[in-house]
Formats: sequence, C-alpha cells, structure tokens
Amino acid sequence: MTLFRSTNFFFGLFFRFSIRHMAKFPGRALVVLLGISLGAAVFTSVRLSIHASVNAFNQSMEMITGIADRVVTRPGGRVPETLVGPLLNLPYVKSASPFLYTYVQPAITGKSPFLLIGFDPILDRPFRKWQLQNSTQSDQGVWLDLMRFPYSIFAGQPLLDDLGIKPQDGLTLEHVGQSAGFIVLEALSSEGLALVEGGRIAITDIATFQEFTHIWGEVDRIDLLLDSTVSEKQINQIHKMLPEGITLGMPNEDQLSGQRMISAYQLNLSVLSFVSLFVGMFLVYSLVALNAASRRKELAILRSTGASAKLIFFIFIAEGGFIGLVGWLIAIPISSVFAKYLLYGVGETISTLFVRVSVDNLTLSAWEIFVSLGMTMFISVLAAFQPARAAMKVSPKEAMDIGQPAATYRKSSKYLAITGVLFILMVWPLSSIPPPENFPFPGYLATFVLFLGFSMLSPWSLEMVGKIAGPALLHLGKEPAWLAGRYVHSSGMRTAISVGALITAVALFSALVIMVHSFRRTVEIWANQTVAGDIFIRSKMADINRYKDPVSQNAMVFFNNLDEPVDIDIYRRLFLNYGKNLYQFEALKWDVYLQYGSFFWTEGNMKTGLQRLKNGEGVLVSEVFANRTGLGVGNLFQTSIRGTWFELPIIGVVRDYRTQGGVVYYSLEHYQGKTGDLNWGGVRVFFKDREKIPDEAIFQMRNRIIECCGDSVSVTLGTQLREAILKIFDETFAITTILLLIALVVAALGITSTLTVLVLERSRELNTILAVGGSYGQIRAMIFWEAFLMVLTGEFLGILCGIALSYLLVFVINKQSFGWTFLYSMDLKTLVVSYPLIILTALAAAIPAIRMVFKQPPANLLRER
Amino acid sequence: MINFRNLMLAGVGILIFVLSGMLAPASDNLLYVTGPCYLKFPEDHGPHPGFRTEWWYYTGNVSDKNGSKFGFQLTFFRSRIDNKSANTQKSSGQVSAWRAQQLILAHAAITEISEKKHHQAERMVRQALDMAGAVRKGDRTHVFLRNWSLDLMPENHIIEADTGDFALELTLVPMKKPVLHGDQGYSRKGQKVESASCYYSFTRLKAQGTMRVGSKTFEVDGYAWMDHEFSTNPLEPDLVGWDWFSIQLDNHTELMAYFLRKKDGTFSDSSSATFVTVSGDSVHLNRSDLDLKTMNTWKSKQSGGNYPSQWRLRIPKLYLELDIEAVVNDQEMKTPETTGVTYWEGSVSVAGFLKGQTVSGMGYMELTGYVKPLDVPM
Repeated sequence: MTLFRSTNFFFGLFFRFSIRHMAKFPGRALVVLLGISLGAAVFTSVRLSIHASVNAFNQSMEMITGIADRVVTRPGGRVPETLVGPLLNLPYVKSASPFLYTYVQPAITGKSPFLLIGFDPILDRPFRKWQLQNSTQSDQGVWLDLMRFPYSIFAGQPLLDDLGIKPQDGLTLEHVGQSAGFIVLEALSSEGLALVEGGRIAITDIATFQEFTHIWGEVDRIDLLLDSTVSEKQINQIHKMLPEGITLGMPNEDQLSGQRMISAYQLNLSVLSFVSLFVGMFLVYSLVALNAASRRKELAILRSTGASAKLIFFIFIAEGGFIGLVGWLIAIPISSVFAKYLLYGVGETISTLFVRVSVDNLTLSAWEIFVSLGMTMFISVLAAFQPARAAMKVSPKEAMDIGQPAATYRKSSKYLAITGVLFILMVWPLSSIPPPENFPFPGYLATFVLFLGFSMLSPWSLEMVGKIAGPALLHLGKEPAWLAGRYVHSSGMRTAISVGALITAVALFSALVIMVHSFRRTVEIWANQTVAGDIFIRSKMADINRYKDPVSQNAMVFFNNLDEPVDIDIYRRLFLNYGKNLYQFEALKWDVYLQYGSFFWTEGNMKTGLQRLKNGEGVLVSEVFANRTGLGVGNLFQTSIRGTWFELPIIGVVRDYRTQGGVVYYSLEHYQGKTGDLNWGGVRVFFKDREKIPDEAIFQMRNRIIECCGDSVSVTLGTQLREAILKIFDETFAITTILLLIALVVAALGITSTLTVLVLERSRELNTILAVGGSYGQIRAMIFWEAFLMVLTGEFLGILCGIALSYLLVFVINKQSFGWTFLYSMDLKTLVVSYPLIILTALAAAIPAIRMVFKQPPANLLRER
Repeated sequence: MINFRNLMLAGVGILIFVLSGMLAPASDNLLYVTGPCYLKFPEDHGPHPGFRTEWWYYTGNVSDKNGSKFGFQLTFFRSRIDNKSANTQKSSGQVSAWRAQQLILAHAAITEISEKKHHQAERMVRQALDMAGAVRKGDRTHVFLRNWSLDLMPENHIIEADTGDFALELTLVPMKKPVLHGDQGYSRKGQKVESASCYYSFTRLKAQGTMRVGSKTFEVDGYAWMDHEFSTNPLEPDLVGWDWFSIQLDNHTELMAYFLRKKDGTFSDSSSATFVTVSGDSVHLNRSDLDLKTMNTWKSKQSGGNYPSQWRLRIPKLYLELDIEAVVNDQEMKTPETTGVTYWEGSVSVAGFLKGQTVSGMGYMELTGYVKPLDVPM
C-alpha cells in the first residue's frame, strides 16, 4: 500500500513537474523525440533486416542439413555413391542418405535459377521433413511417386507462384549443357524442406537428378544418422573405411562457414545502425540538461519543501526514460518503412556477397522488441544520468537566491583534456590486440575510446578557441564575434556534449568517406590488374553452384582447337574449407596469366616468388586467407584436395576482394599432375596485342563461343565483369551511405537543439544586451559566431578523429572483420566540398535558436525575477 | 491341389497391400498369376521380379537353455516399382545406378515371452548399388537389405538381422519338404483368375542360433516357419483385413489358416487353411471347414486397435479344436518409416484336441485392419 502510494506520488509529481514542462515547449521536445526515434528506427530496422536474412539462411541450412549426425564429403569433389551401401551396413549407422543439390534454370524468360535437391526419398526420410499440400495419403508413400515417375519434382508453392505454374504442369529445366522436361507432381506444403530459400526449391529422386545433371556415380555428400550410443572407436571405424580424400565431418560446417562470412557484415551494419541511436543520445542529454539547468529555482523550492535528492534524481531519470519510450513508440511506424527497404537491400547484399538467402518477410520476435526498446531506453536513461545527478545536487538554499542560478562544473577542462589525450594514445595498442574469431572487438573498443578521447578534448578546445581567437575575432567580427568567443571560452563544458555529438558525426562521416574511397579505389585497381582477361568462360550458374560443375567437354575441345591470336588461361576453382574457413582454391596457368594480370603483394618477395609459383613450388594466398587462418609467408599450406595431400609453402600474400572466403592460388599444371583432375573450372581469354585488336574482334570471339557452347557455358566480357564488380561494390555501400546520412541528420538536430538550449539559457542575458543598447543584428551575429566557433571546433576535432578512425577502419576493423585491408587513399574532393557544407548546415541549424531569442519581450524576461 | 479360395495373403500381406495401393496402375510389363504355378525348387525359392510383390517370411518360437522363451519374425519383401524407367534417359543414353525397379523392405521383431517385451524394427531400400537385393545363384537364394539377410540353401536357411537394439542370427534346417498351398502353389484370392498368388511354406524348420536383446545374448533353439509368396494383383476391395495363423503342434503336425475379414465383420469365402501331417502331406481346407471365434480381446493404448487376443478354432473335418492365445498381448507392429501400417504380429500358444487326443504347441498370428481398414484398391 505504501509502495503504491509512493509510486503514485512519484508519477504524479513527474507528470506535473516534467511532462507539463515539456508540453510547454513542444518544439524542443519534438526535435529530441524525432532524433531519438530516428536513431531507434534505424537501429531496429537494420537489426530486423539482418536477422531476417540470417534467419532465412540458418533456416535454409538447417532444413538442408536435417538431423544428420555426420556428413561424408570429398573436399574439392564429390563422393562415390558406392559408399552408401557399406555405410548402411554398419550396425551403428541408423541411416545414410546420399544428397545432391544444384541451382537449375527454368526455361521461362526472366525467371531466375532455383535450388533443385536430389535424394533417395526412402533413405532420406529420417533426415529431412517435407510434406505435400492436399495430401491425404501423406504417410503412405507419396515419396514413391518421385521414383515412379522419372523426371518428376515436388516444388515449393512460392516457386510455382513465381513460375506461374501449378501441379501436373510441365516445366523445362536447364543445367549446364542439359535441358529436360519435368512434370510438377505436387506442391510442397510450407514446412521442412519447403522453407529452404523461401520456398523457391524443388526436390526430385536421386536417379532423375543424376540423369538430368549427368553426375554419374557420385553424390555431393552422404549424410549419416548414427546410433545414439555410437562410440569414438566406431566413428574412427567409419573414418578408416572411407577411401583417401573422403572426409567425415560435422553436418553444420557449411552453415558455420556461411555464418562466419555473414557475421562480420552483420556486426558492422549493426554498429553503424547504432551510431544514429548513439548520436540521438546527445539530443536527450541536451534536453534533460536544459530542463535541469533552467529549472534550478524550482528544483531548489522542491528540495526546500521536502523533496529528497533521490526523488529529484529519479524525476530526471524518468524524464530520460519517458523520452526514450515515446521516441521508441514513434520509431515503430518509421521502422516499418525503413525495414521494408532495408529487408530487400540487406538480403540482396548478403546474397551477392556471401551466401544465397531468400527473405520475404520480417518476423518480429519478442526478443527483438525487447532489444529495440531496451536499447532505446538504456541510451535515453544513460543520457539523462549526468543532468539528473546535477539536478539532485541543487541546494534548497538556492530557493532564496536572487539572480539566475547556474550549474557549476566540477571537473576542469584541462583534466578532461589530459584524460582525452590518454584515451587517444590508448587507441593504437588497443587496436593491436588480436581479435577473438572474426569478432573485431579490439577494433570497436579502440573506436569507442577514440570517440571518447576526442569528446573529452572538446571543452578545452572550445576554451582555447575562445581564448586564442579573441583578438582575431574582434578584428573579423567586431564585438559580436568577440563576445561569442568569450562565451565559447566560458561555456566550454556546457557546449562540450553537443560538440561531442558533432565530433562523432563528422568523424564518422570523414572516416567512412575515406574508407569507402580507399576501398573502391583498391577494388578498382584489383579488378583491373587481378581480374584480368578479355573474355571469361565458366559453366552456367558456376557462381551460385560454387563451380561444382566443370566446363563442358565441347567447350574444352573448342578452346583446345582455337587458332585465334589469343592466349588461354585455364583455371580450376574449388570451394573448400580450411579448418572452419571457406576458401577458394584456384589452380591457374601462371605463365599465361602473369603475361596479362598481376597481384598486389602485401607479403613475400614477388621477384623470386613468381618463378617459384610457376614451378609449382608453393602457393600464393590472399590476405583474407592469411588473416583468417593465421598463415603467412613461410608457413605451410596443408590440406587434402580430391584425395591428394598438398603440403606447400606460402610464397606470398596478395590482396584479393572476393567475398566468399579467401583464395589460394596454385599452378594448374602441378595441380593436374598431383590430382589427375583435368576438369576446367573456367577459362580466361586474353587477346594478344590487345591495344591493336578492335573491340569488334572480342565480340566476334564471344559470339563464336556462344555458338559453340552457349548451352553449357556462360560467357562474360572482361569489361562487363569488372564493371559488375564495381557496381556490386557501389550497391553494397548504398546502405552504409543511407545510414550515415541518417546519423548526420540526427547530428544536425543535435546542433539545433544545443544552440537553442544555449540561447534559452541566456535569454535574460541576451535581452539585457538588447536593453543596454545592443542591436538585434549584433545579437544575431553573436549567436552565429558562437555557432560558427562551436561547429568549427567540432568539425576540426571531428576531422582529426575521422582520420584516426579511417585508419582504424581500413587497417584494423576491416582486417578483423573481413580479413582484408586497402590502399589508404583520401577522397579530398568529397571532403573539401563536404566540410564547408557541414558548417553551413550547422549554421542553418542555428536559425531556430536565433528566432527563439526574441520570442518574449525583453521587459517580460527582465521582470520575471 | 487347386483351390481358388486358398488365398494365402496371411502373414505378410500388409506391406504388399500398401505398396500395391501405391503402385496401383497396372503395367503391361507385369506378370500375373493366372493358373497353377508349377513351382520348382530351388529355382522358385529365388525372386520373381516380373511380379509386383513377393516375400520371404520367417517366424518362429525358440528358447534358451535357461528356459527363456522368444518369438521372432524376420520378413523380406520385394516390391516392383511401376515406373516408366525405359524412358528415363532423356538427354543421354546413360541411366543412373539409382534407377531401380524393385524395392526391398523388411520387418524384424523379437518377443521376449518371459519378460513380456516386444522389440521391432523396419527397413526399406531400393534394389540398387548393393544396398539391397534378391538374387538366386544356383541353388542358393540370397535376399539382403543392408546388414539383414537370408540365405536359402538346400541344406539350411540362414537368417540374420542386427537392428542395433536387438539382433538374431539363426540357422534353420527344414524338417519337411515345402508345402504348396492351393493348386501346386496357385492360390486364388478372388473371383478373377489373376486374383491369385503363388504360395508355399516350410512349415517346420529346426532353428538354432543366437539372439541379442540390448547387451544380452542368448543361445537359442526351437522351430521356425517360412512362407514364400509372389503375386501381382492385390486383395479385393471389400475386405478390411485378415487374421492369419501358423501353428506348429507338438505332435509334429502343422496348420496354416487365414481368415479374410469383410466390411460387415464376417469372414470371406476366400478364407482357407492347410493342415500338414507328420509325414509332410498337406490337406487343404475350405472356409466351410473352419470355425473361428474370438474369446478375448486386447486394446492397444498406442494405436487404439482392439485386437482379438484369444481364439477358438474348430475344424470338425479334422476333429481338431484349438484354443489360441497371444503369449504377450502387446506384439503390435508399427511401421511409420516404411508403410505407416499398424498391425499385430506375434507369438501365440496353442492347446486343444486332435482326434480326441490333447495337443498343444506354439505358433504365430497376424491380425490386420484393426486400427483402420486397409485401403486396397484393385
């Protein structure tokens, strides 16, 4: 009962004291609410979009993996199907299911490839669930229809809808060089396997799959379901019975390596989305601080009439919480708009860069709501903490004081600046700490410390600016400028938080501009040097099928007999795992490739290295591979590929920007000699004397290739491929840019809010100036100068912080997140144009503050006391 | 002996019916049983892949030296997939090794009579890539499904199954020649001539070997029964299920009897029996010779099926009256991974009179259609 009464009293007081006050100045509150809601909306919608993609990926992988305990695979190849029988005969193997999958192209114009799964519906029954729509005989062998009717499929309803067909319709499918007519027997109901890739999936009998794809005698993998009592010894027996090169692994390795690839992107986007919320925190701070500062008299009266310091503290904390809650509620509709666009963008980016995901809708979990609300509230309450503490220290004696009371600041700006410098000095050692697996924690910690350090520098910097620039200001802007300088000098601590917000926004802007520019420039150089070739040939859908299908025989014959003035670089590309990391093994014809292409070496001796590579004496690895595995020049690359053991020294480390894991390059000739694998993964065609060859000749060659083998291979011009790489790059960073712009908008709102606060705090002072003869123009000019000095200081510190941050992004966070670094390059053009614009925007943000100064007649203001 | 009503769907028919239902469309490539089978051995011990369905069905009762009693069942089914496999190679002449025309299925069970426990397992694999198959080489018939197998040889049959939870490995020596049911094995099951199957049994096999349940292994001996049957046409549609008995009396005579139940609860005229004398001669019995009454029932808590657990069988023509009782009530077979059909198959004890003399024995009983009527399209 007492608790109820206390709570009731608290909220009653909170309503009368805080809410009524906020309602009195709705504009101020709305700006802050808009800022925090924008931050919350960005944070929530990015989280939801990423999670939708990650969930879709995990769901697909889990459905595909089924409940297998172990999986038999062959790195770089397929598993002989004859292993299924012996595995099934082991008493502790409950079931073994051969599994094949590939993306196939429906022969319907404009429709994209979909996943076709081939398995034995009998052996697979314990592993994966699926059900047919409208099936009344579900348990009585509908699966048998797949065996009864060759070239039949069961398809997901979303796939049928997309293709505009229905059960019992025919469907022509294409795969590499093959094309065949299928019949859709029935639609899968929306569960189990039908949830893979959002239902854009079809299943067929293994015999049909093999006959259609011409994969004879092999399967992609064999899933095993083991007895629950299986011992290590028995697992070893399975290992022993497998031929060389065939491995027994855990079933979720693909899922884990996929997750690892997405996680870095997920984390970086999440952090970026948090920035808006973080900047929004400054807004909440400024409002609560203003409320606390401008109502000291009332607080003192409250205290003198019996309110405890704790009560005052919690009133302001509740104010922060209230802003957070209302901001979050406003964020809900904004989030739904943002999420709609982000869902598609994030899904497409993940599909293009890492793993294929199909995301149709968002699922809002209680956890996501909790995180979103919790984080917004936390940020808001945290922002209110310092003003609440200041408010609780208001003495009851102040009630009797005459004059405008002012807050006092304990800590000196010098002390803060020294701490700030110490923080900044800690950045480098912090960033050098080795990160835990793919989690750039040290990088982010260093970033946080960097922001903190520069924010701490701002009060002292403002004081210095006010002090040092005094004479110059007097000269430049007469009394208003001088007075502005004095004010900035004396109000350093009060404006510091807002300047801190500006520092954060400018630093982030600068750093991202530099990073994106460096990244793009490096990728551009990489695309032109390393992605060399005039025409690229590979099997159809090689990318989405991860080069599982080699180039067709007729294409091989065509290229072997080619008598044009061209050089042919044949390569074999295999997607493998090195430990937990996915990577691409590429065997290529060094002597041909190196005539036209080159690498960015970051480690190793290029001069001697190239010859050793040609001799097959070692491998060249990408920076990503090196950073992911911890291997560098001099270390051994050790793995089994297609049953052959490779143990080769790493000769060099080069830059490479393929997103699906690192790359290991090796000599094709030696690879073929060791493994006997004479298949081609793809072909790069180089025209000799390219400068003298007209583009027409390249087009003609492309047409000849299409004419010969267009049914089985895809042909891409080198120029198109390189353009496509850069297009993907730009699209990828579109989301980053949008998030950055939103952060800048929130920061601009922060400046508006801060200046307003500063003006309102000094309304009596400003009106006194007016009363003693100062003109409106002089006061306006003074406030402009104040804004200019604050913005200039913030921007200057922001640029310094941004440059440091850009180094962290390029050389630490990207390395720790994705494994790559770039050539550092400043985008001076963009920065030079942007910085004045930021100043102008910030000055424009001062206009509402100036208008606020003269809202009340000076006489009224002076009479108040 | 020709008797069109001597349909011997007893024993194993469940799976066949289910699969027949799935493979309903008749194919011109299939062979039909339309007259006397003229069974010849060892040839006809082997598979008959031209027919839609076939099974080798072993049941029996054994005990170890400590007196622990066990019932067992191990059945291999072959079912032809009615596909158009001749047209499969659309874009090349090559055919996948997985393209199969036959499925091999198996059910295994052990009843620990003393412990009143029933253990069961099921398997199914297509006949491909040496995962499963039914072949005859000379006088040896080999049927296998993963590590379950039967070797049917002139001197003995060897059956093996290891399910992980339990296992059996038995050598079975025939004590009588095969008994051909119906007309030299031609067993009619309906009005049409092709509504029939070829059916014979080894009614008494001396069984010896080992059984394992969990970690306990038992050296056992006793008697077993074997049925081998193949056909193409399934059961007629007015039937909901059947009750089948294989009884081995202590006086070294045997009786096979099955009763096809109609929708109205009465037995079809196609029901029949075969009595086997000590010397191995067989006596065919028609429906009119048989009188079967339910004396008690048992209801499965799992499936809800209300199964007869005790019967009185009277065959006045033979002066035979037998009380048949399940030794363990719960010997219900559930086959969700293969057919989804739930039925009762288990060991029974038998006691009664034959020509005024008391007789007793053991046997196996199969009861189908008690959970839900079997849907058996023609």
